Amino acid sequence: MAAIDFIEEIGLEQIRLKEQRMAKYAYKRLNEIPYIKVLGPSEHRERGSLVTFDVEGIHPHDLATLLDAKGIAIRAGHHCTQPMMKYLGFSATCRASFSIYNFVEEVDLLIEGIRYARGVFGYDC
Amino acid sequence: MRGEYLGMIADQMYTELIMMHNKSGHNKRELSQPDFFERGHNPNCGDDLTLQVNVKDGIVTEAAFIGSGCAISQAAMSIMIDLVTGKPIDEVKALTDLYLSMVRGETIDEADLEKLEDAQAFMSLSKMPARVKCGTLGWHCLDVVLDKIPK
Repeated sequence: MAAIDFIEEIGLEQIRLKEQRMAKYAYKRLNEIPYIKVLGPSEHRERGSLVTFDVEGIHPHDLATLLDAKGIAIRAGHHCTQPMMKYLGFSATCRASFSIYNFVEEVDLLIEGIRYARGVFGYDC
Repeated sequence: MRGEYLGMIADQMYTELIMMHNKSGHNKRELSQPDFFERGHNPNCGDDLTLQVNVKDGIVTEAAFIGSGCAISQAAMSIMIDLVTGKPIDEVKALTDLYLSMVRGETIDEADLEKLEDAQAFMSLSKMPARVKCGTLGWHCLDVVLDKIPK
């Protein structure tokens, strides 16, 4: 009941708008970085509140571990979509998912975390 | 605090791994006609490595690996190969058991731990349950290979 009250108080439309804003901002920031490949529909098309991406030179599980160490939780792997992964040519990808609890500033922290991981792997961030 | 602690162990492990093995890739090659080989595949994360081993007179004379995987799985495999090459089968078996108990977080005495040389870098895996499978992929291949060798 508490969860339903919470959602009704905020309103489904507000939740949708917040989630869309998060995903759009994350898409934009990640897409600006040359060594990151963002997968899935472009930012102008309808998409869920998540962004799937690949960071050149770092296996998704290594990235997830290094981000975890910075308090950032992403999902790494094939996300139970093995045929899609095969089609895209990846064995695993990274995925950041957002909800109304997240702040856009946390996307900035994600970017910072990725730069840190690139540093650990010996790249010039 | 948890973040800081994890950050510390992750940094420790990655620095040693990456610098030593992931970049050099000196054990990542194919043996022309290996006596034994074993594929280690972790479908949950996509690590897929094959260990190849040559054995002569009860000694591991040569080993190498091929495939793809994360930095931890590849470096653990490579460090393992450096450690066991040139050693008798019995000793290799003992090292395998030692390594696997280390990453399970079991208590091992200092003298035994020393025997693992560079592979001690993976001790932190015992505190990273999500990555244990990566760090043991190569060793599990080796364990199977050891069972295949006729006594």
